[in-house]
Amino acid sequence: MLSESVLYLSVSELAKKIQSKQISPVELTESYLARSEALGPKLNAYARLTPELALDQARAAEKDIQRGHYRGPLHGIPYAAKDLLAVKGIPTTWGAKPFADQVFDYNATVIDHLHNVGAVLLGKAAMIELAGGMGYMYASASLQGETKNPWDATCWTCGSSSGSGAIVAAALAGFAIGTETWGSIVCPSAFCGVSGLRPTYGRVSRYGAMALSYSMDKIGPMARSAEDCTNIFAAIAGHDALDRGTLPVDRAAFTYSPAAELKGRTLRVGWLTNAWKQLDAPIAKIIDTAKSNLKHHFPSVRDAALPEGPWEDAANLILSAEGASAFSPLIRSGRVKELNDPMGRVAGYLNQTIPGSDYTSALRIREILQKKVTDLFDSYDVLVTASQPVTATPLSLNLFTGLSFPDPLGAIGNLCGLPALSVPCGFTDKNLPVGLQFVARAGDDAAVLQAGRTFQQSTTHHRRHPRL
Amino acid sequence: MDDSEKSGLSRRQFARRAALLSATASLAPAACIFPDGPAAPPSQDTPGAPKLSPESQTEADARFQQILAQSGDRLTAEDKTLLQKMNQMAQSGLDRVRAYPLQNGDAPALYLKPLVEREKKKPETPASPAKKS
Repeated sequence: MLSESVLYLSVSELAKKIQSKQISPVELTESYLARSEALGPKLNAYARLTPELALDQARAAEKDIQRGHYRGPLHGIPYAAKDLLAVKGIPTTWGAKPFADQVFDYNATVIDHLHNVGAVLLGKAAMIELAGGMGYMYASASLQGETKNPWDATCWTCGSSSGSGAIVAAALAGFAIGTETWGSIVCPSAFCGVSGLRPTYGRVSRYGAMALSYSMDKIGPMARSAEDCTNIFAAIAGHDALDRGTLPVDRAAFTYSPAAELKGRTLRVGWLTNAWKQLDAPIAKIIDTAKSNLKHHFPSVRDAALPEGPWEDAANLILSAEGASAFSPLIRSGRVKELNDPMGRVAGYLNQTIPGSDYTSALRIREILQKKVTDLFDSYDVLVTASQPVTATPLSLNLFTGLSFPDPLGAIGNLCGLPALSVPCGFTDKNLPVGLQFVARAGDDAAVLQAGRTFQQSTTHHRRHPRL
Repeated sequence: MDDSEKSGLSRRQFARRAALLSATASLAPAACIFPDGPAAPPSQDTPGAPKLSPESQTEADARFQQILAQSGDRLTAEDKTLLQKMNQMAQSGLDRVRAYPLQNGDAPALYLKPLVEREKKKPETPASPAKKS
C-alpha cells in the first residue's frame, strides 16, 4: 500500500508519478480503496464504494499507460462523484431515502468525460438529501447521516457536497466532483480546507445529474489545489446537446495551458467590502493576512462593493419554485415525509404555492442584476472575499437558526452563473480551515483559476492535512 | 381527526373550499374560507418570524390555510409550527421582490444565459415607448 503522504499528493503530482511509472494506477486505486474502507464510514463520506468498477478501470488505465497511450493528467487517478450523478447500473440515491434504490441505465455526461480521460471512479460521495432542494436544518439531512469534518469530527463539512469535501480533505481519493446551486461547492471547500471550483453556469453538462434548479445548478471539481481544479475542469467542460443549458461549443470548452495563463494576464482584483456583514474574529485576522499576500501578487487590489438589491430573495424564490417543480411528484405523493430533515419534510408544500407572477418577477430582477454585475466587472477581473464568515460548525447545530446570515455574493454569483473558486487561506487556533473566495465574470473561469493558482504558489495552506 | 372534521365541514364541502382556496390563494383572506380560523397558532405569534404588514399577513395566512387544506393530514403539529415560521419568512421575501422597481420592458431571464461577453452599450434613446403611453 502507498503511504499517506503519497495519497495526499495533488492530482498533478500523482499524474507525474503515474506517467513516469513510479506508481501504478492499480496500486493507487487499491490504496485509496483501503483508506476509504477504513476511514470512509467514520466520516460518513461515501454513499457507496465501487471497488469492482474502480479496479477494472484502474487495470485498463495501467494497460494503456504501459502501452504508451497516456491520456493526460487524470489518467489512472481515482475520484469520487457526488451521489446525484448517474452511473450506469450503480444506485444513485440523491442522498434521499425515497430514492435509495434508484438505478439508472446510463452515465451522466461528466462521468463519461472522466472515463474518457482515464480517471477511475472509486465511489459515490455522500450528500445532503436532494442537494438541500427541500431545505434542511440539520447536518443529518442525508441518507448516510451527518458527514463529519476530517479536521474535527465533531464538526460538519457543510453541504450539500458534504462527502466530496470530506473525501478530498481526508485523502480518500485524488479528487471529487461536487455540485452547487447555492453554496454547495464553495461552503464545503471552505469548511474542509480544499480547493473547489464552481464553474460558469453552462460550461459543464448536467445531463444525468439530479436537477434541483434548472437555471442555477452547476457541476464542478473539488481537489487539493487550484491547479488540480483547472485540470479537472478542462476534462469535464464542454457543450452537450443533451443539456440545453450548456453554452455553445466555443464558449463551453476550456483549454488549460499552465505557463501562458499564469504570466499572460495582469488581473485587476477587487476586494469586496460588503460581501459579509461580519466575519468571526479569527477569520477576519486570517483574511487580512490573505489580503496582504494578494497585494504582493496583484498590486492593483482595490476595494469593491456588490450592488445592493433583493438578490437573495430573488435567488431563493427561483430556487424554491424550480425545486418545487423538479420534485413535484415527491411532494404531491407525500413521500417527502420519508426525508430525514424536519424542514425537508414540509418546505416543498410551501414552495409549491409560489405565484407564477412572483417567480417571473424574480427572473426579471435576475436580468437587471446581470447587467449590474457586468458593469462591476468592467473595473475588475476578480472579486475576492472570505468564502464563509464562519468556520466549520458543530454537527448538532440547528442551521435554520444558527447558520443563517446574509450571503449576497452567493446569491449574485449563482443567480448570474458566475464562476467562483474557494481555496484554503489559513487555519484558526482550533485548527479549522478558512477559505478565500475568488469570483469572476461569467465565462472567465480562467481568471479565478489563475488567481487561485497564483495565491497557492506562495502559500502552503492547501498542503496542510488533518490528522486522522 | 383531520382539519376538515375539526372545523365541522363535510368532506365534500372541504374539497370544494380547498379547490376555491387553491384558485384564489393570494386573494382571499383565510378567515373568509375557514370561518373557524386556522388550525395552527396565529402566525404573527410564531417566535422568530418576521413582522408583516396586515395585507402580507393576510396573504401568508391564506397560503398557510391552503397548504393545510391540501396537505394538512400529512403534517404533524411540529411540522405545522415549522411551516408557519417558514411561511412568514417566505412572505417577507416575496414582499421584497415585489417592492423592487421593475419597468414594463424589463424582460425575464427565462433561461439563464450568462453574459459571457459584455455587449456594446446601445446609444441612449430619449424615452421608451412605455413611458410615452
